Amino acid sequence: MKFLIAIGSQEFSGPTLRMGMQVASAFNASVTVVKVGPKISDYSAAHVRLAQERMEKWNFERPGVDVLEWAFNFLAENKYITPTTIESGFPQNTLIDTGNNRAKVYLQGTVCSDVKLILRSGDTIAELRNEVSMGNFDVTIIGASQKRRMAHDLIQYLDSSIFVVNQYDPKKSYGLLVGVDDSPLTQKAVKYGVRVSQAFGIKVDILTVSKTGTFRAGYKKAAIQAAKLMRRMGIRCENLYKKGDPVSVINNTAGDDHIIVMGSSTKNPLVKFFTGSKPLKVMQTCKCPILIVK
Amino acid sequence: MLRNLIFWITQKRWLLFAVLTGLVLYNLETPGGLTVEGYRTLIIVVLTIIMIVFEPVPLPAVGLMILFLQVFMGIDDPNGVAKSFMSDAVFFIMGSLMLAVAIVSQGLDKRLALGIIRLTGNKTWRIVFGFVAISAFLSSFIGEHTVTAMMMPVGLTLVRNAGIDKKGTAKLAALILFSIAYGSAMGSIGTPSGGGRNVIMMSYWKDFGIVDITYLGWMKRAYPILILEIPLAVLILWFSFRPKQRILDSAVRRLKIQVKKSGSITGNEISAIVIFIFVFLGWVFLSPYFGLGIIAITGVFIYIAFGLIQWDDLNRNTNWGVILLFGAAISLGVQMQATGSALWVAESAINLMKMVSDDISTLRWLTAVLLAGILTNLLSNAATVAVLGPIVLNMGGDPLFMGFSTAIASSFAYLTVVASPTCMIIYSSGMVQKSDYLKAGWKMFIMSITILFIVSKFWAVS
Repeated sequence: MKFLIAIGSQEFSGPTLRMGMQVASAFNASVTVVKVGPKISDYSAAHVRLAQERMEKWNFERPGVDVLEWAFNFLAENKYITPTTIESGFPQNTLIDTGNNRAKVYLQGTVCSDVKLILRSGDTIAELRNEVSMGNFDVTIIGASQKRRMAHDLIQYLDSSIFVVNQYDPKKSYGLLVGVDDSPLTQKAVKYGVRVSQAFGIKVDILTVSKTGTFRAGYKKAAIQAAKLMRRMGIRCENLYKKGDPVSVINNTAGDDHIIVMGSSTKNPLVKFFTGSKPLKVMQTCKCPILIVK
Repeated sequence: MLRNLIFWITQKRWLLFAVLTGLVLYNLETPGGLTVEGYRTLIIVVLTIIMIVFEPVPLPAVGLMILFLQVFMGIDDPNGVAKSFMSDAVFFIMGSLMLAVAIVSQGLDKRLALGIIRLTGNKTWRIVFGFVAISAFLSSFIGEHTVTAMMMPVGLTLVRNAGIDKKGTAKLAALILFSIAYGSAMGSIGTPSGGGRNVIMMSYWKDFGIVDITYLGWMKRAYPILILEIPLAVLILWFSFRPKQRILDSAVRRLKIQVKKSGSITGNEISAIVIFIFVFLGWVFLSPYFGLGIIAITGVFIYIAFGLIQWDDLNRNTNWGVILLFGAAISLGVQMQATGSALWVAESAINLMKMVSDDISTLRWLTAVLLAGILTNLLSNAATVAVLGPIVLNMGGDPLFMGFSTAIASSFAYLTVVASPTCMIIYSSGMVQKSDYLKAGWKMFIMSITILFIVSKFWAVS
């Protein structure tokens, strides 16, 4: 599997990296870390490029390289990756432009096959979408954003599953909350839940919500199958059946000490665009990390 | 499929908005006093402004749109559009962008660094003064983005040498970077070759039969403004980003050592300077006969012929798309004049002003200057002058005075990151925040308009 971890700044990206790498190791996935820098207007692009070439002559790195370098060192210090330093490596941090506002970053003298570093510039959603489609990533991991439309756009337009590392505190112990119903993506969400639970060694709550309090056969079957799979994998789990509005029930049950895993909505994209979806509403309102499986 | 379509629509919403606006306007009745061609030209102006501000398509595509719409909407025939597209002003924009690449590639920034430090010493305020003054002086001859590209590494090296971490030097970095960017923006008014917009206004004056102004004639009118602006800009910047570091002793020493490592001046560097001096002399003495643009592209040819720049480098770093856009914007300006739409807009504006006051001389000037100043922060300065020029030249009063003030005001690109390439270049360093632009920018904007007003009133512009 292939995971993409999107980072913003040194100040806020530590938890995203930490949790992203833990989950990625559970999936035995290859990891790419991407940083998307600000958009340069067309009008100024050539002038900025010229200025950046001059900056490189004075040994200044392009903005964003420092963040990727910090991410690499953070991963190495926390033993998520094992880099090797060799003399024959690049004499300085080097960017290989691959076109379309994208560059691969190779750090000075360092060789590491565990993680790739990518620097992009432009609109965050458009660039992440391009990266996901270019690298066929299965999961995109990103920190929470203050931007109102970010959650909506991530779910709506990225072709991978989305893991938003929202208000994650590494010192706190978390449970896993898997939302289960009869939708086609539930089974995949449960499988992802198994891996996440194994990564963190945590108990799983399998939550089924009904607005009326009556649980259809499909709902019950999905919940029972999920529990069976969890137990078979040696994971402690409990089935919860609750009545109420699914979004509020999921949020209330999760609180701030769960990692939520749920399937993406299979509604028509046009309907989702105008009315949203349950996973989107949960993502916008929850106070904990959430993985939306596609 | 549907998801991709929705994504495309969200990304291109301003394109769709522009198309819808165009269709609605096209189907409305032509306003009284305006020809059908004039009205359609104004529709293209509206579409162009929407497309440049929101960039739903790459800017060169906006240039193409301006050209084909003129033909499809029956404003002019293909040959007429082609003729209005290419002019000496476009040659100048093309030549000056290429000259910029040739000059920047020589690595003269290290010499500049040494020069600045020798002049200013190690006190921070003097260094800031040096950056503003030298950026302004240089950019009045070779274009603002060229100077910013050369000066930024010098400034940032000082910052790097001065501080322990990014936080501790944030204000110093902002102070020095804005000194470079705003100094360059201010300086670009100094001579016609300081910016494409100056040449566009000069070409309008000439083409519309108003006046044929010389290189030195422009300098005589513009340089007093520049000289007055420099100390005031230093004060504004200093009080907006007052740094902790009042003396940059060790930073300056380290910079000197670093620059000295690059050895003494090379033959190529001397040749590059000498060729540029010849180009400058050509602009001063020969432009009435051959035009500023032809002299600029001759200079580029000499740089290539002497092997000082490779064609591949020129090709890679010259913004051909901007040339296309500016050429198209000038063509649109020419059509605004030819179809009478510029006159109609100007007369409508005057009628509105007369509702406010009978004596509109100051109001007219202020409207032109504010419009130019605001548009330049949203569009590009050359596009602003290309579109606004024909209107202000028809607004009455002295067209030389009105045109000159408009061209000068279009350099007041201080307020936003996207206002000009200089603003974007310093932003791309990652050392300044978007909010910093407004912090110092509004003061610079008001100061510049005040100086322009005072000089225009008391210095013989006409």
